Amino acid sequence: AAMAKLILLCLNFIILSNTVEAVFEDQVGKFDWRQQYVGKVRFSHFDTHLQSSKKVLLATEKNVFAALNTRTGELFWRHVDRTGPEGNIDALLLHGQDAVLVIGNGRLLRSWEINVGGLNWEIVLDSGSFQSACLVGYQGTVKHVAVLKKASISLHYLSNGHQKWVENLETVDYQAVYSGGNGDVYALGVVPHSHITVVSYNVEDGEINKQMSVEAPWLSNIQASCAVIAKEMLACVDSSTASLYMLDLHVQSQMTQIPLQSLGLEVDPGFQPALVSTQPNPARPPLSEFFLQLGPEQHLLLQLNNGQIVVLRDFKPAILVSFATTGEKTVVAVMSPKNKTVICGFCTLQCFPLACSVNLFSAESGRRLLDTTLIFNMDPNGGKPEKLYVQTFLKKDDSVGYRVMVQTEDQTLTLIQQPGRVMWTREEALSDVVTMEMVDLPLTGTQAELEGEFGKKADGLMSMVLKRLSSQLILLQAWISHLWKLFYDARKPRSLVKNDVTIENLSRDEFNLQKMMIMVTASGKLFGIDSKTGSILWKHYLDNIPSNAAFKLMVQRTTAHFPHPPQCTLLIKDKDTGLATLHVFNPIFGKKSHITPPTLPQPILQSLILPLMDQDYAKVLLLIDDQYKVSAFPSTKNVLQQLQEMASSIFFYLVDSSQGRLCGYRLRTDLSTELIWEVIIPTEVQRIVSVKGKRPNEHVHSQGRVMGDRSVLYKYLNPNLLAVVTESTDLHQERSFIGILLIDGVTGRIFHEAVQRKARGPVHVVHSENWVVYEYWSTKSRRNEFSVIELYEGMELYNSSVFSSLDRPHAPQVLQQSYIFPSSISTMEATLTEKGITSRHLLIGLPSGGILSLPKMFLDPRRPEIVSEQSREENLIPYSPELLIRTEWFINYNQTVSRVRGIYTAPSGLESTCLVVAYGLDIYQTRVYPSKQFDVLKDDYDYMLISSVLFALFFATMISKRLAEVKLLNRAWR
Amino acid sequence: MASPGGQGAGALSTRGGSAARRMKWALELSLGNTRSRSERQGGQGDVIYPIGYSEKPVPDTSIQETDKNLVEKRCWDVALGPLKQIPMNLFIMYMSGNTISIFPIMMVCMMAWRPIQALMSMSATFKLLESSSQQWLQGLVYLIGNLLGSALAIYKCQSMGLLPTHSSDWLAFIEPPQRMEIMGGGMVL
Repeated sequence: AAMAKLILLCLNFIILSNTVEAVFEDQVGKFDWRQQYVGKVRFSHFDTHLQSSKKVLLATEKNVFAALNTRTGELFWRHVDRTGPEGNIDALLLHGQDAVLVIGNGRLLRSWEINVGGLNWEIVLDSGSFQSACLVGYQGTVKHVAVLKKASISLHYLSNGHQKWVENLETVDYQAVYSGGNGDVYALGVVPHSHITVVSYNVEDGEINKQMSVEAPWLSNIQASCAVIAKEMLACVDSSTASLYMLDLHVQSQMTQIPLQSLGLEVDPGFQPALVSTQPNPARPPLSEFFLQLGPEQHLLLQLNNGQIVVLRDFKPAILVSFATTGEKTVVAVMSPKNKTVICGFCTLQCFPLACSVNLFSAESGRRLLDTTLIFNMDPNGGKPEKLYVQTFLKKDDSVGYRVMVQTEDQTLTLIQQPGRVMWTREEALSDVVTMEMVDLPLTGTQAELEGEFGKKADGLMSMVLKRLSSQLILLQAWISHLWKLFYDARKPRSLVKNDVTIENLSRDEFNLQKMMIMVTASGKLFGIDSKTGSILWKHYLDNIPSNAAFKLMVQRTTAHFPHPPQCTLLIKDKDTGLATLHVFNPIFGKKSHITPPTLPQPILQSLILPLMDQDYAKVLLLIDDQYKVSAFPSTKNVLQQLQEMASSIFFYLVDSSQGRLCGYRLRTDLSTELIWEVIIPTEVQRIVSVKGKRPNEHVHSQGRVMGDRSVLYKYLNPNLLAVVTESTDLHQERSFIGILLIDGVTGRIFHEAVQRKARGPVHVVHSENWVVYEYWSTKSRRNEFSVIELYEGMELYNSSVFSSLDRPHAPQVLQQSYIFPSSISTMEATLTEKGITSRHLLIGLPSGGILSLPKMFLDPRRPEIVSEQSREENLIPYSPELLIRTEWFINYNQTVSRVRGIYTAPSGLESTCLVVAYGLDIYQTRVYPSKQFDVLKDDYDYMLISSVLFALFFATMISKRLAEVKLLNRAWR
Repeated sequence: MASPGGQGAGALSTRGGSAARRMKWALELSLGNTRSRSERQGGQGDVIYPIGYSEKPVPDTSIQETDKNLVEKRCWDVALGPLKQIPMNLFIMYMSGNTISIFPIMMVCMMAWRPIQALMSMSATFKLLESSSQQWLQGLVYLIGNLLGSALAIYKCQSMGLLPTHSSDWLAFIEPPQRMEIMGGGMVL
């Protein structure tokens, strides 16, 4: 392995001199895995320019443009643009091998080559908010793309993006652009509740061919209610008059009104009807067939035949419809619910079917095509289908075959082949993880049973003995079957041995290195992921999650209390109404718990998990409502009694950043609260950005630091300490500042206050042990800086047995030092180990996608400027302002993690090992060893050599002993 | 004492033995077994000592006075042994330095172990000193010498930092303090 690493190192230096791997080559992917996501799909096109193509192109709401393999669901390539509106993908047009994207509200026009994902060209468009774009064909070929903006329309060459012509538009609100392949480009605009304006431009020079305006007092939005069908016919639908309106764009005329009643149709009350048309080839006019949606489950296929509207087919019920074209054939795919099997949502009482069927119909006749039924079995823990993308292809017998890609509400992408085989599923909700926890796996069933035996009450000696014997027998049986399996697997070639992890065979490993990751996503879907392999073991979609919900995930009961199942509680708060709901579930199986959570009629401000337990070993969760009253969950008599006893030592703090208020409260025995301290930070000057306490599961092994003269500098380990970060409201680079406040959460006492002038956020903070590390942008020196604050109690401990914030008269000593960091950072977290003996590292997510493991040793305010004997004795590194990024510190070698938003660390059963999960657009899981693996033999430890040497020595001793005996005997005989 | 005759006989016999094949005859002067190899056998019972010959050595009474002095001297040597080693130990201590590495540690171990071992076998030493008239004084000196030696070793340990005399040496045993208050909360959700 060392040799391999050497070679790899050399290669790396030659090929890409900026990255060096910190793992051995043969360890790649052994302890770590990465999953790449794209996000919720906004536009999607199947690559159709080749019959055998396996690509589907996706443009997503996460500003990602990617190509997926339709056979496996894996990424061919992916381009991640900037976050926010600047990288927003407004339109995706596909022509042959080129995909044209409009990005950032019409800021950029880009063309990608879809085979390898290379950029063809990129141009910057004139300013103006983007409205619409379309491909423009002329004389059978497509050479241009038209971009309509609020104030202008421009035509660009597809080959190089150069602008062919640009025309300014008048003040009318132009909303759509259309071209039918006859040399005209139409811009359609509307003056709401008055008239439609249509301007037709010549493709060649941009001259206005024709301009007209037609009365349409009912119309407000063209894109929502109109579509161009057949040869330059604009069709619109209006719900108030319940009519279709047709307008021939060639001839100036009135709109012809066709009441829906005359077609025998009716609009669902309260539903905004919509039209869907299709234009398979931009060089030709759209088809004369189009869809009219009259209700959430009613779609109609209509045809314009000699100026008459004909209803080809009424699809009811139909959830989703879609056009698809292959060759000359255009078909419609209709997804309709299969009756009988119905599942109802828990919270919403909304019912949706368990399975849907997709059928193909001929677009021209509306006739059903034979043998085209496809069954889509929906996940009961998923959401409703939301979008339907159809890929059609011609089979050898000239019939149409197809695959569908379905996107459901929970952002799951599923590709299904006839007759219902799921090719792959992608959980795109995981691109937006909000919060996560790691939970220990349970012991194996048998182990747990054995352990549970001691928990039960004794019922007679004999039965106990029998029970013990039977459980021992079960253990023996399990062991034998395990041995048998090992033997059986050993005979098979290694590649065939499957190591599937399912919920059934989940069990804790020897060192507790495998855990269950519970991830909460913004869409409201919960996932249980095996940390070792990354496979999703369970998922649960919570419908009816408000879009701006705040989540807080808490572990109430771990797996340690068999036979009580582990229990997690998710607090979901609607930020608009302030009302919250609790979702209680089993983190191992994902099942909703049978315990009914309390209904919370009052808006909830915060929650607090207490170390108290009820008789079922569930930790008590306190919820604080807007009246500052506290409710407990679970709220049994036992719990309330315990709470009454403990009330005087339960404190909580609330930070309201909109009012700049930090308040501390104490619990009263009647579960009301009293305000005991308050700090106001004037919101006109600065606002509170973040508040960081310590992690409750953090252990600190060493209570002090050994000085050079072998005395002890004791750490100030206040568990109630809070680090409050503020940023100035004034963002001018001369006047902006950031502030940091160290405050006791129980007493409100301020220990330290620092203001960093000429500095700006975003500030990233880590607070642990007796130190706080934060990072900010220094506007004065234009660089990123790290600052570290450490708190010490002094050379003597005030009270070494108990810590009470109310009885600590001496203020801690505060030391601080700052450093220059060569890169901006995305997120920061500290490693965490079981006992806290291992030295700490900071895990820093960089915007470049690397995750840096920076030893805390480098961020130490006691680093001396002048080296002395004592500092050398203490192993302090001399101070140097620059912190270097050493490439071997990247824990994710070349596995870039895009847009890291959070890093989660969890201790494992080994003191040396800390489990790390970085999430953002991608998810990356690995292990880190901040003090190397001092408690584990190396991976490439030579057992063979050691044991053979041992045996050889043993035999050598035996032989030489024998020889010595013989020799002694001989000598005695002589 | 038995050897002259026997040796002569033996020499003769061997000579005779080796020459036996060449000579026609040989006269054995000794009366013992001609084949006997063992000289002791030949010398023990069969040799007739001359009159007045005693097998026991006669003790020489004239040397006894100086011998007594010698015992005394020897006992003092034993008693002063540990004290004499101290300058040597000091030198070794000085030479080995205060760094913690294998050789200084070995030295220190030796230095500490030797006096302890000596103190453990104190009774044996006392038995050795039994014959001396100043037994108790010598014993005391011996004890003091050994104690000094071990004190020196402890001092060396101390200067090497091997003794847990600083608060930092007990740091690992300090338990984390118990938390009196329960606190939690955060930003308003």
